[in-house]
Amino acid sequence: MREWFKKGEHWIWMSSAMVALSVVLVFGLFSMITYKGLVHFWPHEVYEYQLQNGKEIERVVGELRDSKMKEVSAGEGQAPQEIPQLLIKVGNRDLYGIDFRWLSSDELVSDEPKIAQDAVVIERYEYGNVYGWYQSLKVADETFSGSDLQAALAKQVAEGKRLHDEIKSIEKGDIGLINYKIEQLRLEEKRLQADGDWTDAKAQLMKDERAALDQQFREYQAQTQELYQLQKTLGELTMTVSGGQTLNVPVKNIVEYWQPNEMNLADKLGFFFHGIKRFLTEDPREANTEGGIFPAMIGTITMVLIMTILVTPMGVVAAVYMREYAKDGPVLRMVRISINNLAGVPSIVFGIFGLGFFVYILGGSIDELFYGYALPSPTFGTPGLLWASLTMALLTLPVVIVSTEEGLSRIPRALREGGLALGATKIEVISKIVLPMALPAIMTGLILAVARAAGEVAPLMLVGVVKLAPELPVDTIAPFVHLDRKFMHLGFHIYDVGFQSPNVEASQPLVYATSLLLVLIIVGLNLGAISIRNRLREKYKALDN
Amino acid sequence: MSENNVSITMDRDSRNLRLEDEKVAIEVNDWNLYYGNKQALSNVSMKLPENRVTAFIGPSGCGKSTLLRCFNRMNDLIDIVRVEGEMTLHGDDMYAKGMDVAALRRRVGMVFQKPNPFPKSIYENVCYGLRLQGIKDKRVLDESVEWALKGAGLWEEVKDRLNDNALGMSGGQQQRLCIARAIAIKPEVLLLDEPTSALDPISTLAIEELIFELKKDFTILIVTHNMQQAARVSDYTAFMYMGELIEYTDTDTLFTNPQVKRTEDYITGRYG
Repeated sequence: MREWFKKGEHWIWMSSAMVALSVVLVFGLFSMITYKGLVHFWPHEVYEYQLQNGKEIERVVGELRDSKMKEVSAGEGQAPQEIPQLLIKVGNRDLYGIDFRWLSSDELVSDEPKIAQDAVVIERYEYGNVYGWYQSLKVADETFSGSDLQAALAKQVAEGKRLHDEIKSIEKGDIGLINYKIEQLRLEEKRLQADGDWTDAKAQLMKDERAALDQQFREYQAQTQELYQLQKTLGELTMTVSGGQTLNVPVKNIVEYWQPNEMNLADKLGFFFHGIKRFLTEDPREANTEGGIFPAMIGTITMVLIMTILVTPMGVVAAVYMREYAKDGPVLRMVRISINNLAGVPSIVFGIFGLGFFVYILGGSIDELFYGYALPSPTFGTPGLLWASLTMALLTLPVVIVSTEEGLSRIPRALREGGLALGATKIEVISKIVLPMALPAIMTGLILAVARAAGEVAPLMLVGVVKLAPELPVDTIAPFVHLDRKFMHLGFHIYDVGFQSPNVEASQPLVYATSLLLVLIIVGLNLGAISIRNRLREKYKALDN
Repeated sequence: MSENNVSITMDRDSRNLRLEDEKVAIEVNDWNLYYGNKQALSNVSMKLPENRVTAFIGPSGCGKSTLLRCFNRMNDLIDIVRVEGEMTLHGDDMYAKGMDVAALRRRVGMVFQKPNPFPKSIYENVCYGLRLQGIKDKRVLDESVEWALKGAGLWEEVKDRLNDNALGMSGGQQQRLCIARAIAIKPEVLLLDEPTSALDPISTLAIEELIFELKKDFTILIVTHNMQQAARVSDYTAFMYMGELIEYTDTDTLFTNPQVKRTEDYITGRYG
């Protein structure tokens, strides 16, 4: 044994144990997020629980979400009993007030959960899910029930979806565009007035234009009104829900409906992937607790890309100057120390700086200089995409500088001399030989920067991220990328849904799903960058020998 | 060294070279060089003949490489280096104020101890210097690349894979590529800093033959650790010791009848 210690074997064991622990932690984290995130999309079985309620038997229908043990004292002198408590998602929020219900298993008639035959789950645009059974469907004067109901319902729901999409497209697309144009017109008018260019002729011109836009607006509004009326004629579905109550669900309110207990594996898989697709492509609903995360995803990616565009030249140029031109000395050393310390500054401090300097000072000045006519409503003097990206660029700058410097220092002297000996100037050697060869190192810096920027939440809350953005930061209206707009971000979305929403329990799976997506986006961005880096490394492998 | 086993059958074109009869390419007068406070070269004065091979020999640290790097101002890159004296290339003061160093280096090419091809294709390596001069004409580039590769004796080996990465070549080929790269811009002087010290005997032989060919077009200055090599390839030899030029004359005289005791000690292997 002493021999064993003497040889230092215990160090090897300890270090390998630590490695194993880290690996287990990473995989544990990743598999938990993956599991919990993906389970959200799986159609859960719906169970029926029978509850002894006085003399009567109460039926509770819902998905089993969680179970816990509760200690109940079984009388004096006896050991306390452990009774399982079940958390059931019962839905029907408009009826019960909340989505969830705790059941104590000693109140149940039978311990075995019973699969609820023919139970239906309906996802609604309002009030969350419905769990229950079909009773009847009333369309205009006709009433369907029994076997006719399903076909009629499918038809009505498909029609409802079409109407919903059409309304959304008019409201978000056409009316949105008109609103944008009217706003531009208003700003133009203010600008002309401020410049003193305001003439009666122009006023008349604008008036006409505005009248035309108003006219268009009214037309679209009439169209939507018509569609809304059509929606009302879609009919109403009457459901029997647990407790024997009936619940009326207007068809226009139905997003999706399914009978999980009747699905086979293929159906379930189809539903699963359909759910993932909807999650990725739809807007959030119900204060972010339902629906998809499309705007947050787009916001995150746009912000990260703009940040990359900003941080790369800044970091690389700074590193080139420090490594290739600056004279070694106390000043350079001070600068290096400062840059390294910058990486350790808490991110919220960057957020404060971004708000104070970029938003108020820089943005405020830009507004005064170029958008004075729009004041007091700010254009750039308010948190937005540009400032968020710039703040993130600043936050990740040290990483890029340090890794670029490292890369530059690894380029052999012989190659620089080879270039110089052929009559190249220093700048030519740097730009044509040294920088291309340092690209893998620069990419490494960018990978780290991207991972950091995509995951950061705290500073973004101050400089541009909002809970719900009315418009995407990128769209089809010129200039396509709107740097002054506020945007949504996955990290903030997780925080908001997980901790700020009125219905934390119901939105918990969404938190995991969003986390999984965030991790996947970062992993995806990283893998992309890593594959580029590896290709570059292959090209410039001279460094190794 | 294994090079002793390689029999060289090159004939020097003239056995009766005299330094006084030669045209001068580079002239050095009272050249001093300091690394900070340490003097590395003291009072070096010499005339380097045109279209000849001049070898610099001497023990490690004698300053021969430092001197060679003065000829294309490579020492400028080291901050602490300070020089005194006069150095002219075909009459032009190489250290004149406002001298375009890049232009000077186009006139004085250099090949280094270790092959240092750029991580680019063979073709791009050779035309790198030409592209720097702004030559874009594909035909001109093609011709120059072929000429330079032929000049470096590499054309036959690589003509079918000009677009391959230069780093995939053998060490000897890489070094000849570096020579091709250097001669592609047609310098007046070619500096070779121990060009064969990292190579095997066969590659060494190839380069030595190449040097013999190249002196028709270029003035060649070569630093070598290997005295046999100096004897084989050079017309003139300079022996340096402790930063001073001890003896400088035609190669035959220096190796057969050295005038200074120290030279004799070195070439007979008494130290070094």
